[in-house]
Amino acid sequence: MPSSPPDPYLADLQARGLLPPDQAAAIAAADQAQPFSLHYELRTLLYLGITLLAGGLGVLVYQHLDSIGHEVIIAATAVLMAACFGYAARHRGPFTWGVAPKTSVGADYLLLLGCLLFVVLEGYVQYQYHVFGTRYGLATAVPALVFLPLAYAFDHRGVLAMGLTALASWVGLTVAPLSVLTENDFWNTSIRSAALGLGLVLMAAGFYSEHQGRKAHFAFTYLLLGSNLALAALATSLVHATFNEQPVASTGAALLVLALCGGLFWYARRTQSYWFLILAAGYAYLAVGCLVGQVIMALPNDLIGLVLMVFFPLSALGMVLFFVNLKKIMHGSAGPATATTPPSNS
Amino acid sequence: MKLQAYHPEWAFRAALQARAARWQRQQLLSPEQLAGIAVAYPLDYYRPVWPLRVALFLFAWFGLVMASGFTFLITGESLFAAGAVHCAACFGVLELLIRERKFYRAGADNALLYAGLGVAVALIFYVFSVYLWPVSLAHLALSNGYLAPPLLLTLALLLAATLRYADAVVSAAAFFNVLLLVALLGLQSALGQALLPFLAMAAAGGALVFQLLLRRRMAGTYLADYYATCLLVLKVLGLVVLYLGGNYLVVREGNAALHDLYTSVQVPFAAIFYAFTAGIPLLYIMLGLRRADRPTLLVGLLALAFSLYTLRHYRSLLPPEIAALLAGIVLTALAGILLRGLRPARFGLTSLPDDEPRHFNLENLIQAQTAHAPAAPAGGFAFGGGQSGGGGATGQF
Repeated sequence: MPSSPPDPYLADLQARGLLPPDQAAAIAAADQAQPFSLHYELRTLLYLGITLLAGGLGVLVYQHLDSIGHEVIIAATAVLMAACFGYAARHRGPFTWGVAPKTSVGADYLLLLGCLLFVVLEGYVQYQYHVFGTRYGLATAVPALVFLPLAYAFDHRGVLAMGLTALASWVGLTVAPLSVLTENDFWNTSIRSAALGLGLVLMAAGFYSEHQGRKAHFAFTYLLLGSNLALAALATSLVHATFNEQPVASTGAALLVLALCGGLFWYARRTQSYWFLILAAGYAYLAVGCLVGQVIMALPNDLIGLVLMVFFPLSALGMVLFFVNLKKIMHGSAGPATATTPPSNS
Repeated sequence: MKLQAYHPEWAFRAALQARAARWQRQQLLSPEQLAGIAVAYPLDYYRPVWPLRVALFLFAWFGLVMASGFTFLITGESLFAAGAVHCAACFGVLELLIRERKFYRAGADNALLYAGLGVAVALIFYVFSVYLWPVSLAHLALSNGYLAPPLLLTLALLLAATLRYADAVVSAAAFFNVLLLVALLGLQSALGQALLPFLAMAAAGGALVFQLLLRRRMAGTYLADYYATCLLVLKVLGLVVLYLGGNYLVVREGNAALHDLYTSVQVPFAAIFYAFTAGIPLLYIMLGLRRADRPTLLVGLLALAFSLYTLRHYRSLLPPEIAALLAGIVLTALAGILLRGLRPARFGLTSLPDDEPRHFNLENLIQAQTAHAPAAPAGGFAFGGGQSGGGGATGQF
C-alpha cells in the first residue's frame, strides 16, 4: 500500500517530540524505498508447483510401471533416501541433551524427506515382495524404531512426531486383530484402552524430558500427541460411562482426566505455554461438568432443568473469569520462573 | 456518549507500536527510542494471545447460549420478552466490559456482540412473521418483496453496530445484507433476473468505491486505524464478489439453479463472461503488484486458480496427470526464476522476506502436512487415522 506522503504515525511521533525531524525524514524515505516482498507468495507457488509435479510424476510412473520395472523404482528411491540421509549426516552437529544449534536449514528438510522416502520404500517393498508377510505389526514398528533414534541423534522434532505416529499405528495394529474375536462394543474399548495406555506413556516421556532436562524441547511434541490420545480416550469413556449411568467408571475416568490436566497445568506454567493451559482447562471443565451432572441427575425431576440452566452459564462465566485472570495465575508465586531454561548436561 | 465503543486511540497506538517495532528491527530507531514510544503510547487494554481469545470466545458463547434458556424461563416463557431481555443484557455487559475492564476484541466481547446482534436480528424476523406477515409462510421467497422491510432493518442495525464496534464479522454481515437486498431487487422482474450478475458486480464495485472514499476521508485520523479491519473486509469481499459475479461458472450454474434446470446450458452474453473470467484475475494481480497491495494480489491469485478450474470444468484440455505435470513444471520454474531474479529488488519487488514477523509459519505447516503415518497395509486398522497434525509446532503459546 503506498503510504500517502505525510505518514500520520511519523507526524504524531514528531509532534510529541519523540523523533527528531531528520530521523523522521529518513524513516519516511526508507519506507518509500522499501520493495514489495513476494517472499511468501513465491514460496507457496514453489511448494504448490513441486506438489503438482510430484503428483503428476507419481501417476505417470504408476501408469507405466510395467515398462519401467520395480527394481529401477526401488533403487532410485533408495539412492535418493541415502543421499538425503547422507547430506543430513554430514551437517549434523555434536549430540547434546539440550537444543542443538541449527547448522543448515536444508539438512533439516532433507532429513524429513529421507524419512518420508523410507516409509515409501518400506511400503513399496512390502507391497511388491511381502517382505514382512502378514506381520503388519513388525512393518509398522520398523519406522518407529528407525525414526525415534534419528530424532534424538539429529535433534529433529518433525522426525520425532513421525516416529511417534508410527508407534501409535503399531499399537493400533497389534490391538486391532482382537476385534475379529470380540464383539463390536468391546472392540472399541480395547482400542480405547490402547490409546489411553500409549497416551499415558507418551505423556510420561514428555514429563520426564521436561523434568530431567533430557531434550526438554521434545516434551512439547510428546505431550501434544500423548495428551491428545489419552484425554480423547478418557473423555470418550467418561461420556460413555456417564450416559450409561456407570457412576464408578465415570468418576474414575473424571478423576484421571483431572490428574492429567494437573500435569499439563504444571507443564503449562513451567513453560508459559497457553496452549496446554487451554487444553487442560477444557478437559477439566468437561470432567467437572460430568461429575456435577451426575449429582444433578440425582435431584428431584422438577429441579433438574432449573439447576442445569443455572449451572452451565455460571460455570462458563467461571471459566471466562479464569482465563481473564490467567496472567496472575500463570505468573503466580508458585511458578518456577527459573526453570524456563532447561539445564543442558551433555 | 461517543460513537466509538472502544477507545478511539487504541487501534492507532497498536498500529504505531507495530510500525515502531519494525523500524527498530530495520535499525531506523534506537532501542531507547522504542522504549520511549512504548511509554508514550500505552496499550492499556485487555487483549490476550490468540489461543486465549479463542477460549474466551467459546466459553462466553457457550455460557450465553445456556443462559438464553434461563432467560426464557424467568420471562414467563414469552419468546419476545426473552429475546429483548437477552439482547439488552448482552449489549449492557458488552459496554460494561469495554468501559470497566478495557476489553479490546478479546474474545468475550466478540461473543457478546455476536450474540446480542444475533438475538436482535432474530427478534426482527420474529416480529414480522408473527404480527406483520400473512399467516402462511409459503409466500416467503426472494422473488417477492416480503423480505425487504426486515432486511432493511437488519442492515441499519448491522451498520450501526459496525460504526460503534468496528468488528470485521459484523461489517462482512452488513455487506452480505446489502447483497441480499440487491438480489431481492433483481429477482422482482425478468429483466432484473437477467441482469443479476451485473447487479452483483455493480454492488461489489460500489462497495470498493465506498471503501476507497472512506479511506481517503479518514486518512490521517485515528478513525483510519479504528476502522482499518472493516475497510479491509469490505475491500476483500468487494474484490471477491466483483470477480465471482462475472465468473462464467458461477453465472452459468447460478442461472441453471435459478431456472430449476437439471443441466446447465450456455448463457446469453457468454463472451462477456469469458472476458471477465480471464481478465479480472490478471487485472487484480497487475494492480496488486503495481500498487504493492497484498490483499488485491492474493485475491487475484486465488481468482486465477478458480478461473483455471472454470476452464477445466467445461473443457478438459489434457489428461489430469499431464496437466498436473506441466502446471508443476511451469509453477516451479516460474517461482524458482522469480525467487532468484528478484533477490536484489527489481521493479520495486523483491523475493526476500520483509522483516515483518509472520504469524504463519511455513516450516511447521509443511511438517504437519507431511508427517503422515506409514500407510497401513490393507486389512489392518490404522490407529486413530494415523495423522499427527502440528507435531512439529513450536511451543510459543
